[in-house]
Amino acid sequence: MSAPATVTARALDLAVSLELGKLALRAELATERRAVAIVGPSGAGKSTLLRVLAGVERRATGRIAVGGRTWLDGASGTFVEPWERRVGWVPQNDLLFPHLTVAQNLGFAGAARAQIEETADLLSVASLLDRRPRNLSGGERQRVALGRALLAKPDLLLLDEPFSALDRPLRLDLVRRVRELADRASMMLVLVSHDEGDAAALAEERWQLLDGVLRRA
Amino acid sequence: MRRTLLPGWILLAALAGAPSAAGQQGAPAAPAAGEPLLVLAAASLGDVLPAVAELWRAQGGGPVELSFAASSRLAPLALEGRADLLITADQEWMDWVVERAGARREDVVDLLGNRLVVTVPADAPSALRSLADLASLPRVALAGESVPAGRYAQSALEAAGVWESVAPRVVRGESVRSALEWVARGEADAGIVYRTDLALQPDVRLAFVVPDDVTPRVAYPAAVLASAPRAAEAAALLAFLQSDAAAAVFAAAGFEPPRPATATPVQAPTQSPLPSNRSALALSLIVALAATALGLVPALLLGRLLARRDFPGKTIVTTLILMPLVLPPVVTGFLLLALLGSRGLFGPALAVLGIAVPFTLLAPILAALVVGLPLYVLSVRGAFEAVDPRLEEVAWTLGVRPRPTFFRIALPLALPGIAAGATLAFARALGEFGATVVLAGNLEGRTRTIPLAVYALLEAPGGTRAAWALAGASVLLSLVALAGFELLSRGQRRRLEEGSR
Repeated sequence: MSAPATVTARALDLAVSLELGKLALRAELATERRAVAIVGPSGAGKSTLLRVLAGVERRATGRIAVGGRTWLDGASGTFVEPWERRVGWVPQNDLLFPHLTVAQNLGFAGAARAQIEETADLLSVASLLDRRPRNLSGGERQRVALGRALLAKPDLLLLDEPFSALDRPLRLDLVRRVRELADRASMMLVLVSHDEGDAAALAEERWQLLDGVLRRA
Repeated sequence: MRRTLLPGWILLAALAGAPSAAGQQGAPAAPAAGEPLLVLAAASLGDVLPAVAELWRAQGGGPVELSFAASSRLAPLALEGRADLLITADQEWMDWVVERAGARREDVVDLLGNRLVVTVPADAPSALRSLADLASLPRVALAGESVPAGRYAQSALEAAGVWESVAPRVVRGESVRSALEWVARGEADAGIVYRTDLALQPDVRLAFVVPDDVTPRVAYPAAVLASAPRAAEAAALLAFLQSDAAAAVFAAAGFEPPRPATATPVQAPTQSPLPSNRSALALSLIVALAATALGLVPALLLGRLLARRDFPGKTIVTTLILMPLVLPPVVTGFLLLALLGSRGLFGPALAVLGIAVPFTLLAPILAALVVGLPLYVLSVRGAFEAVDPRLEEVAWTLGVRPRPTFFRIALPLALPGIAAGATLAFARALGEFGATVVLAGNLEGRTRTIPLAVYALLEAPGGTRAAWALAGASVLLSLVALAGFELLSRGQRRRLEEGSR
C-alpha cells in the first residue's frame, strides 16, 4: 500500500515565498488532486500566485514541482522558463492580442486550422473567428483567451477568474465542458476564483489564500 | 616698418574722414548722459575693439556698447535706427547700407586695412611658397563665398591665376573662424585667413602673406549712421578710432592702415553664383532619409531597452542619449569633429577603414542622426512603454520565446509610435544646421543642405528672393512631416486603446 504512493509524483507540490511591496506571499501546497481551486478575497495574492506558477513572476523563491517536473528549485538554481513549462495561463483580464483576429489569437501557439475550429466550437465562438478583440463582448473575450491557452496543449491550466463576465447558467455549462476536456487530456488545473460555486464545480480540492498564507479549506 | 606707415595713414584718414568729426579729432566728447553708444562692428574686430573702447573711456569718453557679427548680419541691423556707428569688413555691405539711406556716402571713412595670409597647421612641414602651391594640397579652407574674407581669398586666387586648380580642393567654412579651426584641427591642410586671426589660434602658423599684387583691398569702412540717436558722440568716437592712440592698439593686433582705394587696382571679387536651390533640396531629403534609416535600429534597441529594463547606470545612459537635445548644436558639431575628425579620437581608426567624415556626405548625415536621435529614442521608448508587458508574458506561456514574441507582439503594437518617432527624427534632420556647419562645411551639392543654403543666401547681397523659395520648401516639408507625426501618434493611441477594454 505504501509502495505506489511513494513513487507516484505529486500532481502539485510547491513551497514558494515572495515579497512584493506590502504583499508577502507564503504558499505551501502539496496535493495529488489534479484540479485545485484557490479561493480568497481580492488582494490576497491569488493572481500573483498564478503568475509565479506561469513563470512570468520570476522573483519568487522556493520550490515548484508539477506532475513530477521541477520548475523552480532555489537550492539547485533550477528555473524553467515560461515558454518551456507547457502551462496555459488565462489571466483575469483576458489580454487578447489586440492586433490579431480571434483565429490568429487562438492559433498563436501554432495550432492547425482544424483544431482551432474544433476548440472554437467547444467554446461557442466559432462565428467570431474573423473578428478583432475590440469587437467582442467581455464573455466572448474570456472564452477566446481560454481557447488560446487550451490550444497550446498545456500540462497545467491556470484559470484566473475565467468566467466572471458570463451569467451563471452559461458559466456552469462552460465549467463542465472545461472539466471534461481537462480530464480527457489529463491536464492539471488550478482555478482562482472568489465564487464558491465555480470552485465546487471545477475543482476536487479547495485551498484558501488569506493575507498571503495558503491553507486547505 | 609699419611704424613709418602710421603717420601717413592718420593723414589719409583725416583727409577722407568724417567732416563733422574733423574738428574734434582725438579729443573725446564730454561724457554722455544716458544710454551708451551702440557700435555694430565686423566680427574680425571682436578682439581688438574692446581694448580701443577701453582706451576711449580712459580718456574721458562715454560708455560704448559693442555688438560683433558678420557684416551681412550687421547691415540690416544698421537700418533699425538704434545703432550709432557701423564698421563693416568690406565695402559691399557698407554700400548696401548707403543705398538704403542708412548712412551718407560722404560720411563713410576707411578705418583699417587687413592682410590675407596663408596659414597651415602648426606641425605641418613648411613647403608652401606661393598660392600656386595650394593646388597640391588635398584640402584648402576658405571662409564662405558670401563672407568678405571668403570673397577676398577667392579673388586673390583668381588674380594669381590658380583658382581653377585650387577650387576642387576648397572647403568653405561658415566664417573665417571656422576655416581657421579646421586648419588648427588638421582637417584642412591650409587656409586663407586674415593675418589678425593668426594670433588667436596657437595650433596654426603663418606660411606666407598673400602678395600685394594679387591681394584685393581689404578695408574696414566705418560710418556714423544717418539714424544715429547720438550722432555727435558717435562722430567723436569715430574720430578717436582714427587717432594715434587707437592706431597703436590696432597695429599691435596686426591691423594696418587702409590702402588708398586708387593705389591697388585689383578687380572686385567675382560675385559667385547663388547656390542652387534644387541641389540643396535634394541633398536635404537624402540626408534626412539616410539619418532616419540609420537611426532606426539604434532607436529601436535603445528605446526598447529604456522602456523595459532597469540596469545600473540607466540614468547616465538616458542622459547621454538626450544630451544632443539640449546641447547647442554647434557644440555637438564641435564634439563630433573632435571625435570623428581626421585628428579626432576615432579619426585614425576610421581612416584605416577608408572612411572620412568631415566635408563628406557622411558629415551632414551623422550630424542629423546624432541631433535627431534623442527625439527618435524618446518616441520609440514611449511606444514600447505603452504596450502592456503582460501581452508578451502571455505569449511566452504559449510556448513562444522572447525574440519571436517581440516581433509578433511588441513590435507590431508599437509600430505607429515608432513611425511617429521616425517622422519626428526626419523633421529634425531637415532642420539641422549648427552641428552640420561645423562638421560638414558648406559645400554645394555635397554638404549644403537647405538650412545651410538659406544661410548662405541670406549672407549674399541679393540672395533674399532665392532664400524665400527654399524657406517655403522648408516650411512645407516640416508641415507634412509634423502632420504625419500627429496622425501616426493618434494611430498609436487608437491601436492601444483597442487592447485594453
